[in-house]
This record gives sequence, structure tokens and C-alpha cells, in this order.
Amino acid sequence: MALTEYRYSDVIHRCFRCGYCKFPTSFIEVNNCPAYARYRLESYSTGGRLWLIRAWLNDELDWSEHLGEIVYSCAACKNCAEQCPLPFSDDIVDMIVAAKGAMVERGSVPSAVKEFLENVDRQGNPYGTARSKRGEWMEGTGIQEYDGQEFLYYVGCVGSYDTRAQQVARALGRVLQKGGVSFGVLGDRENCDGNDVGKLGEEGLFEALAEENIRQFKDLGVSKIVTLSPHAFNAIKNDYPRLDGTFEVRHYSQLLRDLVRAGKLDVSSGFKAKVTYHDPCFLGRWNAEYEAPRDVLRAVPGVELVEMERHRADALCCGGGGGNFYTDFLGGSEDSPSRIRVRDACATGASIVATACPNCLTMLEDAVKAEGLDDRLKVMDISEIVGEACQARGS
Amino acid sequence: MDSICQSLAEIVGEGHVSNRPEELYIYSRDLGTAEPHLPRYVVAPRTTEEVQQVVKLANREKIPVVPLGGGLTLAGLVMPLRGGIVLDMKRMDSILEVNERARYALVEAGVSQGKLVAYLNTHHPTLVHSEPGAPGQATVAGNVAIHGQGDLAQPYGFNSDMVNGLEVVLPTGEVCRIGSCSLAQQWFTQHPLPDLGLFLGWCGTTGVITKVSLRLFPRKRIRDMGMFVLEDGDLVPDILYRISHTEMAGDLIAWSQELPVTVSGLHNISIFISGDSEEELELKRKLIRVGILGEYIHSGVGGLVGLSANVRPRLPRRPPVSTIQDIKKGGGFEYVGAIMPVDTYPECCRRGAEISARHNIAYTLLGRVIGRSHAMMFSWSYVFNRADEDSVREAREALYESDDLALELGGIPWKPGVYGQQAVMERMDPNTLSLMKKVKKLLDPNGIMNPGNWEVS
Amino acid sequence: MDIVVAVKQVPDTSEVVDVVEIDGSGKDIERGTLVSRINEWDKYALEEALQWKQKLGGTVTAVTVGPGEWDDTLRRALAMGADRAIRVDEDATVIDCSAAARTLAALIGRLPHDLVMFGAQSEDFGSAQLGPMVAEMLGIPHAALVVRLQVEEGEAHVERELEGGARDLYTLRLPALLTIQTGINRPRYVSFSSVRKAREKELSVMSLDELGLPPQALTPAVELARLELAPAGKGAVLISGAAEEAAARLATILREAGVI
Repeated sequence: MALTEYRYSDVIHRCFRCGYCKFPTSFIEVNNCPAYARYRLESYSTGGRLWLIRAWLNDELDWSEHLGEIVYSCAACKNCAEQCPLPFSDDIVDMIVAAKGAMVERGSVPSAVKEFLENVDRQGNPYGTARSKRGEWMEGTGIQEYDGQEFLYYVGCVGSYDTRAQQVARALGRVLQKGGVSFGVLGDRENCDGNDVGKLGEEGLFEALAEENIRQFKDLGVSKIVTLSPHAFNAIKNDYPRLDGTFEVRHYSQLLRDLVRAGKLDVSSGFKAKVTYHDPCFLGRWNAEYEAPRDVLRAVPGVELVEMERHRADALCCGGGGGNFYTDFLGGSEDSPSRIRVRDACATGASIVATACPNCLTMLEDAVKAEGLDDRLKVMDISEIVGEACQARGS
Repeated sequence: MDSICQSLAEIVGEGHVSNRPEELYIYSRDLGTAEPHLPRYVVAPRTTEEVQQVVKLANREKIPVVPLGGGLTLAGLVMPLRGGIVLDMKRMDSILEVNERARYALVEAGVSQGKLVAYLNTHHPTLVHSEPGAPGQATVAGNVAIHGQGDLAQPYGFNSDMVNGLEVVLPTGEVCRIGSCSLAQQWFTQHPLPDLGLFLGWCGTTGVITKVSLRLFPRKRIRDMGMFVLEDGDLVPDILYRISHTEMAGDLIAWSQELPVTVSGLHNISIFISGDSEEELELKRKLIRVGILGEYIHSGVGGLVGLSANVRPRLPRRPPVSTIQDIKKGGGFEYVGAIMPVDTYPECCRRGAEISARHNIAYTLLGRVIGRSHAMMFSWSYVFNRADEDSVREAREALYESDDLALELGGIPWKPGVYGQQAVMERMDPNTLSLMKKVKKLLDPNGIMNPGNWEVS
Repeated sequence: MDIVVAVKQVPDTSEVVDVVEIDGSGKDIERGTLVSRINEWDKYALEEALQWKQKLGGTVTAVTVGPGEWDDTLRRALAMGADRAIRVDEDATVIDCSAAARTLAALIGRLPHDLVMFGAQSEDFGSAQLGPMVAEMLGIPHAALVVRLQVEEGEAHVERELEGGARDLYTLRLPALLTIQTGINRPRYVSFSSVRKAREKELSVMSLDELGLPPQALTPAVELARLELAPAGKGAVLISGAAEEAAARLATILREAGVI
């Protein structure tokens, strides 16, 4: 793609390289951009990435595996969009995604990205595991297949296939059952929501996935959806409507808050712990939902909620976005954002870091192990904490 | 990886060295109008020992070394004019000590202004440093290395006058401590030791600063800003002189801009005051606004506008720079700053507006008082469109003219690029130049430190 | 330079090995639940062909002998940059290597071909015979398991992969046939929209008849008797202890198993 064909060609040169994109609002640390945190070279900051993208499109730089990695190391966390003082700041992540799109069209993407996309195309999930196994997580739970219930409980790829995340998928299912919610799941008929495929620049595949899902939801008469993952929440809420798929979609934390407030979920058994909450990017900065998960935690007797230094719009991304929970461009170092984040969590004195996203859950758990903090910090999903508090137990 | 790259990787770790096209591209470019210059290697050290080893290797192999902080001097001072190693210091970003009683902060060279402000805000709310108002990623060490100034310039002077001590790696690889720290004492003073100020203002040409002990100042609970507006620029030096006499003000800035339209043709004086109580503030307000500005207001030549009470919390605010620079929708911004006598303000503005007009750029002029009107940092700023070569050229030419103008009006370009450096050195006393050359030769016999800058021929 | 690349479509069993089952006939696997896709080796062959087309100019034609579903793989080849694709319509489950070879040789024989490329083997049956058979039938030289290729002035210089990292170097005069080993290059990603756009490119389907081959041409030389799953292993032995002890124990186990 030549620079003139690039969607943001009138804007890409306007980055001043001021560096605000590296910081949170408080400026307390310079590593609030997950890729810059990991590598601490200017090429990996948002500004550097934008300048490199322009240079590549302008034929000043050839494509290389390294360039591909730099561009794809962006976790789409939106800290830069939040902090950039310039008028086009809202478009920054889209600018990077558009560049990824140019690489996809050219066929030049890093191998791990290729695998991710090819796996989704073939088997409907980035791991490449058989479609037929997508519903295995629900065995023994009594959770029903969707057949006209009030809510479609959309689980997503990570919740369906990752063994730790499957525990959370089950935990949420049990909590919904306890709350008397009428819901069903798609099991092995469920397909990837496409959010991360879109953020990897494969717009064509994203549209195909979304259109298929929209058709499936409509055929089944789905109108209300509750998602396990903020990634699916983001795609269905913000990207499906332009493909003629408008549904009433909520992230599960929002539904749980409503249930607790309406007295439909009895959390009085409580859960005694000092807990700090990690804002997921696709719920927080992407969709401005910072309160529902906190409301849920605060409603549980015994939970002492403490905040990390960088929280809400300043939260440090776990590094799992933009497909990185699979492609892993940000792993392998004590400077990995997930490891920095669990150190942040430990510094609050909390014994539990609560997540509301299966990607964050798996990233932070691996980081706890890598940091050797297993005996000091546990990672739990909000649904698991609520599960304890309302005695909806199982495994 | 060539063998030098391999050796560098052994010093700092493979992930912190690069000679790949992407890093070389990014580190070859300055944010201003200067032409790019490619380094051979980019290295990001974490410790003074690593810096030492890199410098020793560079000396052995006769490869230039260019230290880089936030890269915001905009004058091309951190570009490798002769290739070599760009040393990205920003991984060395620990705040080592804040000594409340002696009021200083000891920081590693890569600590950003933003991080220091945030840290003091949280942990030492009665202390501040003189914050330059550049975007937060500018480094404390970079700022003192170029004789920078901050928002405490009027009461307390240049930031390089606020240095209690330095740790530096000499071009020949030795680690030196300048100041009381050389006696393994607290880093609380440079005097009364013989002056070894061979690194401040030398823009990285005499060694690599690895630690700075920076003075901190009292932070009062409340901070007010008042803006005095007038049409006649000739009155400004007098007003500044008289306000600085009161010793009641903090930051004192006179500025004039063509955009936005509401301020065009006017001169503004921003006056910051702070106090721990309303009484303190009232006294200061009275002395300045009534005592000094009152007569100008009554004679109708100006008025007070835009009073902001309690401009807190004190975080690095987004400087006007970051938004002004996008007016040409081009992402480019560079300025000539010069240390000028305060009395030259009106002429600086008049001639500055002329230069801007000739180059089709809206004039953006500013003078920050340093000391009790001892001097001011006057800046002529030019925005440009990075994607338009003509726009870049216009800005570059305007900048050269501004360098010349500063010298013509009796001032000295501050942190100049090569053009301005040459202009300064041409006018310098030959014995002084010769001394500069001796110092440079003594410290850097192989000429590896940021060569091409401040080179006495 | 005109290059012909033979491709096939195989069931995707890479991540799903544990769901493979033998079907009722005992001679095939249960294909119902399996997704099928381009044979892994053929990706590398196509990529190599396309890179040489980019360097030297010319055409790339993708060919296959198989059923309608295999048009997916041909479309993918077109999306990658092949100029046209041809499928000889046959039920791939009933033909053996020799039958496929005869068909492909007849087809390729009619097309301009300076270079013919096959994947070194297929993921399903893995016989690695097809390429060499076709080369013999076409009467052109061939090299199998090519890991490096240099084409200049009517010659192909190849490196073949042997055991232990050893390499064979050959020069073949064109036209020649090569079977391509994985790792020779990095196959490009094929975007969804490029596959859609490739629908505009030429994909023709032929019958055996149109190739001038009688039905007997498909008579298999080899008949598949039965297909079985390998029996699951009988468990693991965990070796603990200090490095020297563990190594000694391991050496004993391997020796007893006849591995070393």
C-alpha cells in the first residue's frame, strides 16, 4: 500500500514524538505503554511506531520481520489515545491497526500472527484446537445450550479453550444460575467474535466472522447477550452494528451488578480478602466501564478493595491485547507489562488481584509464577470471587 | 551482528542493543528541522558500569558516543553527526534519594521530568524542582546538560545552577563524582570545592552524566496565576524589572503570539505566585498587582485578565507547545531559545515578528525571566509540516535568522544546533575558545563524545 | 519462466490429532467433523514458485486432481499470486499415487513448464512418491526434498536435505521437477479479502476425458487394505535424580529400547 492509499495519510506525519503516550496521567512511571515497557527503545513507543509506519509506507524502510514485530507488539490498549494531546488522538490505535492491515494485504506478517489468523479461519479459535471441542468446558455444569432463553451467554475463545479460563467460564455460568438468570450458550456452535482478528488488521476475516455470528444470533432469535470477555463485548457493542448486527450486549460485570442491586444474587456469605482490581483495556479505556466491576466487588462483604497506583484510565495493560496473549511479543522479561502489573498489585498489599477478562487472567497468572509471587498473590476472576460469596461452587 | 554489536550486547544484554534498520531510522531523526544522521548502534544501558564499559569500548574502537535523554532539545543535539553509538539513557530512571532537610533529589540520568514531579507530588508534597514545562519525557540530566531553565527560573536561576553534584563517566571511561559526593558525603553542595563544572552546558561533548543531584525548593500550598495584558511591548522590560524587585513572584513570563486571534498584537505577562496561606498570597498580590501593575492599569495601558486561583494539582501540564505545534497540521516544531538581556524584549518581538512573517509562519514569542531580571530566555518558535519539504525549509531558515538575530541584539543562543554553535564561536574571545578546546582535548582525547558539536576548529 | 505447482487439500489434523477416528469402511478416516486445507508442504512449493516469478517474470499455474472442495486450495493459490488454476475432477479417495501421477503428467505435459514443483510429501498418506513419479512420466530430471533453490539461465541449482544436516548439491537443466521441503522459505499470509478478490482469476475444471485419458488410467497399482490408529502408549517413566544418574538411567532405557 502506498502512503497515498493509507487511510490516515493526512495525519500519520503529525505525531510530534512528545512522548505523552508512554505515561499515565499522573506521570508516575514512563512504562505505561506495554510495548515500550517491554523494550524501552523509541521504536516500540507509539510515536516511534507511527514514524516507522510512515517511513515504511513512504518506501523509506523495507518491510522486515523486525518491523512486523514492532508494529504487532502494539497491544491496542489505548493508553496512547488516552494521553496524546493532539486532535487526532482518538484515531491512534486505528492508525496502527490500518498499518497492520496493509501488512496483512501484502501477506507480510510475523509468523505468530499468521498462525493466529490461520487458526481462527480454520477452527474458529486462535489456538487451532478442534471446533468440536469448543463446548467441552461446560460438561457437568448443567448449563444449557441457547434455545430462546433471555440471554445468550457468549463465552469466547479464551474462555472456551484455555484450561484456567474454562474455570472462569464455569464459575460465571454457576453464578448466573444462582442468580436465576435465564441464559444459554452456543457450545461448539460458537465461533470467534473476531475482536482480536480485527485488531490484528485482518478486516476481511473479521467481517466474515462477524457476519456469520450476526446471522447465527438472528436465526436463533438472540436479542440480549452477556459476554465473559471484554474483547467480545467491545466487538459486539461497537463493531457489529455497522454490519447490521445490533444486540443489547453487556459485559458480565454489568449484569452481576444489576443482579446484586436487585437482590437477585445473594452474596452475603462474603469473601474475606484484600483485593485489588485490574482494569481490562477493552472494558476500561475502550468502553469507559470502570465502575461496574468495582461495584460488584464492593458489594461482597469481607472484600477490602484497594487501588493500584495506576488504575481506571491509567491502568497498565497486561500486555495480552492485540493477539499478544497468543503471539507473545511482549513476554520473556522482567520488563514484560504483565510482570510489572503484578508487582504493582503486590505493592498494594492485596493478596488477590481481581480480573474481569480471561486474557488478563491468563497473562497475570503466568506473570505471578514468573515473578515467584505464588505465595503472596493470587489471581481470581470477579466471577470466582462472587461465586464464593454466593456459594455457587464447583470446579 | 558484527563483532562490536556482539560486544555491546555482552555489556547491556542483547535486547538493549540494536543495529537494525528500524532503530537506526528512529534514532537518526530529531524532532526539529535538522537533517537525519544515522547511528551505527543504539544502546540502552541500565547502570553506570554499563555506560563505563560502552564508553571504554567506544574509545578503543574510536566510535562516537552520543548520550540521549528525552530527545526534546529540538536542535539536533542528540543526533549522531558522525555516526556511532546513540546511548539512550532513559532506562536509567531510578530516583535514588530525596533528602528533605537538605532539599535535594538524587536521580539517575534518565529520570524524566514527569516522573520526578509525580514522585515529589506523592511522597514529598512540600518540595518541588524547577520544572521546564517541556513534555514530561524530557530528562532531568538532559536539562542540566544544556543549561535549561524551569518554572522557578525567576527566583532561583538556571537549572544548572541548582546542581549539587554529578556523577559522570568520562570519555576515557573513568567514573567521577563532582561535588560533596566525591567525599562520599551527602550530595548537598558543589561549593567550596574547586570548580569542575566541565559537564553543564557542554551538551554531552565532555562525558556522560549518569547521576544528578538537583536542588528542590519549597512548595507552597496554593499557587495563583495572574496575566497582565498590554499593547505596548516597550513597557514590558520595566514591568518585569519592577516585579522581580518585589521578590514576591515565582515564574515570570512575557509572551506574544499571532494565534489564537484573540491575543494577536498583544503582549501578555504571566505572573505566578504561591503561598501557604491566603494572607501570604494577599500580600504578594497586593505588592505586585496593586503596587506595580496598578499604575499601568490606571493609566489605561493594560489590564489583568485570566486570573486562575489555585492552579493545582501541580502535574506537568500539557504545555501550549504540544497543541500549538499542530497548527500547520504537520507535527513539526522547533525554536531558537536565547539568553537575552531583559531590555531586549521589545526588539526581540519586533524583529521576531518580521522573521515569522517573511517565512509565512505565525509568530510565537516568549521570554522567561531568569534570576532577578538578570536575563531572560527568549524563544522564537516556528511550526512546520513535517511532510512538506518547503515548510521544513522555511522553518529552518527562520531558525538560522533567529540565531543570528539573538547575537545581533546582544544575547547568546541557548542550546544551539551546529549553525548557532558556529555563530557563537565565531564571535567568542579567542583565548576563551582556546580554553574550551583544551578542556575538550583533555577530557576527550579521541574526540568520541558527541562529535561535530561545539567543535573549536 | 513458466512454473506449474501441484497442490492438494488434506484434512486438518494438526491440532486435532486426538479426534481422528477410522470410519465404517476401515479404509478411511471419519472426515465429517474435520476441516480440510492446503497440504503444508504445498504452501512452501507455491511460495517458492511465486518468489521466482517475482524475480524472473513469467507465470505460475496451480494444478490438482481432486473433488470440488479442493477449489478452496486453488483459490488460495490464486490469492497468493498464481495466474491460473486447473483441477481435474476426480474423487481423490479412490485413486492411488500412480493414478494421480498419470493424470497430472497428462495435464502438465500440455502446459508450458520450465519448472514443476510438488510438496515433498502430503500430510495424509505421506508417501512422497507423486513428484518423482510425475517427473519420470514427463521424462524430465527431478530432485526431491529441496531446501534451497537458485534458478539462472535455464538451470536450477538445488540443495537437498539429507540426514544429520548434510546437504546434496545438484544442478538440473530445465525443464525439471522439484519436490519442496518445508523451511525453504516463509509462506506468505493470505488475507481473507485477497481470497475474495481471487474469484476473478481463472479456475478451470477438466475431466479425464478432456485430457485424453481412458478410465483405465485410474486403475490403482496399490490397494489400501486397512487403516488403523496407532495404539496409545503405555504411560511415561519419570526419571529423577542428579544429572549423571538420570543420564545413565536414560541411556539404559534407550539402549534397551533399541533406539541407541
